[in-house]
Amino acid sequence: MAMLYMENITVGYVEGIDILRNVSIEIEKNKITGIIGANGSGKSTLLKTIFGFLHPNKGKIVFKDKEIDKSRPYYMKEMGISYMLQEYSTFPELSINDNLLLGAWTFRKDKKRIKKRLSEIYEIFPVLAERKALKAGNLSGGQLRMLSVGKEIMSEPELLLIDEPSVGLQPNIVTEIYDLLIKISKQGTTILIVDQNMLKALEVSDNMYMLDMGQVKQGGPKEDFKDSIRELIKTSLMAD
Amino acid sequence: MDLHLFSQFLISGLIMGVLYCLMSMGINFIYGIMKVINWSMGEFFMIGAFIQYLLLESFIGSEYWYIGVIISACAVFVLGALVQVILIKPMFVGIIEAKMEYVTIITIALAIFLRNLALLIGGPYIYTPPDYAKPTQLLTLPLSGNRLVAFIGALVLLGLFYFFIKKSWTGKAFQGVAQNRAGVQTSGVNVLRYDMLAFGLGTALAGAGGALMAPIFSVHPLCGLAPTIRGFEIIVIAGLGSIPGILVAGLLLGFAESLGSAFISPSFVDIYGFILLVIVLSIKPYGMFGKAERTV
Repeated sequence: MAMLYMENITVGYVEGIDILRNVSIEIEKNKITGIIGANGSGKSTLLKTIFGFLHPNKGKIVFKDKEIDKSRPYYMKEMGISYMLQEYSTFPELSINDNLLLGAWTFRKDKKRIKKRLSEIYEIFPVLAERKALKAGNLSGGQLRMLSVGKEIMSEPELLLIDEPSVGLQPNIVTEIYDLLIKISKQGTTILIVDQNMLKALEVSDNMYMLDMGQVKQGGPKEDFKDSIRELIKTSLMAD
Repeated sequence: MDLHLFSQFLISGLIMGVLYCLMSMGINFIYGIMKVINWSMGEFFMIGAFIQYLLLESFIGSEYWYIGVIISACAVFVLGALVQVILIKPMFVGIIEAKMEYVTIITIALAIFLRNLALLIGGPYIYTPPDYAKPTQLLTLPLSGNRLVAFIGALVLLGLFYFFIKKSWTGKAFQGVAQNRAGVQTSGVNVLRYDMLAFGLGTALAGAGGALMAPIFSVHPLCGLAPTIRGFEIIVIAGLGSIPGILVAGLLLGFAESLGSAFISPSFVDIYGFILLVIVLSIKPYGMFGKAERTV
């Protein structure tokens, strides 16, 4: 049974120009689903549409049996969906601790839970714990990405949407981030990940979808992609 | 000039600087959250002053001027929030091109409308509310009671506003909206609600300023003009978006006007701020505390 599914979604930023056309995908509970595709294929648009930054012109999105395609981002968070943006979703002038506190916005009145979650997050990210009073703007790219993950998992989401976690990072940091995502997934969070780093996405995902020019070109368990991934990378690089 | 007179001018500059800060803080706060300039701030100042005058003259009496300030600020908050919901919010829902230009036009039109409405209702007269306090002395310096009261009131309001922004959950959310609008939405903050609150709070600061300064500037349809011009001057001197910068720039402007009046001539009081602005911008083009935006 899918935790979230999109059915024939058509969406765009400007009237008359659709970025995604009749896209249908399913996200299974407790699994990692990867979305791959070339630049401009509509990967980030797909996440923005799920989280309510964009509303589809056609089709429906269902999360835990509720239609959410007309809902706004703050409602998604209340529903148990978190979204790690491709651009950092952190606040440069606030301390690391305050950044994480804002991740607890939906349960801000529950002091006990906030304290518990903060200590859990600091346990996962000791590098953040050492610098909790420091302004987020002083962190390196990798540390900011960790802070973004930490902020988004403060609310213990059921579904975590992640946009390009490896972009602009050194390979060793990328491995560290991906290891973390696997750890989070094992703790029971369903993950939908979008990445241009197709091999990395293939490595961690259970299911995958390939987007091409706003349409699903291929979808299914990752085993189906193993033979074709090199060809897909080649096609995508040529498209770039 | 003797030291006694000089210190009197300095204190006068300090008082006026803090009063101007209140106005700047409102403009700056709305800009920080919504990235739009509200050109009708002076009219919200004027409405606050008119409400205060009406309350003191007809309802609560001059001894309860501080209650009048609170009521005026609340009334202007509600009016500001309504203006935001009806006229500005529609531009922030969905993807709309040139929304900043729309907001600029709508707030300028609103300023003209409110000014003329005040003229229609109150006529072209100058109203002066009763004094809030008797003239007093600070050490050996004689001081206007109204100015002292407005100074203390403005300091209290600025202090409360600062602690609200820095210490409360709502304040943190406001900081989040100002720093990363998309990022704060991924935290679950309803940004459209915060836009409305920010517009209401920003205009309420102007309204409170109008009520506090009613006996100093008097009350008439154009009474918000001078504080608004000062408010914008301070923001440019400080650098858009900087709260500590506003306090420093506000005080500098107050001192520039006061000392300019003392050493040159009080006839040019409106010019001293602009001279200061030109000097600061020629040395620091982004303002004293402003930062250059990264373009590449």
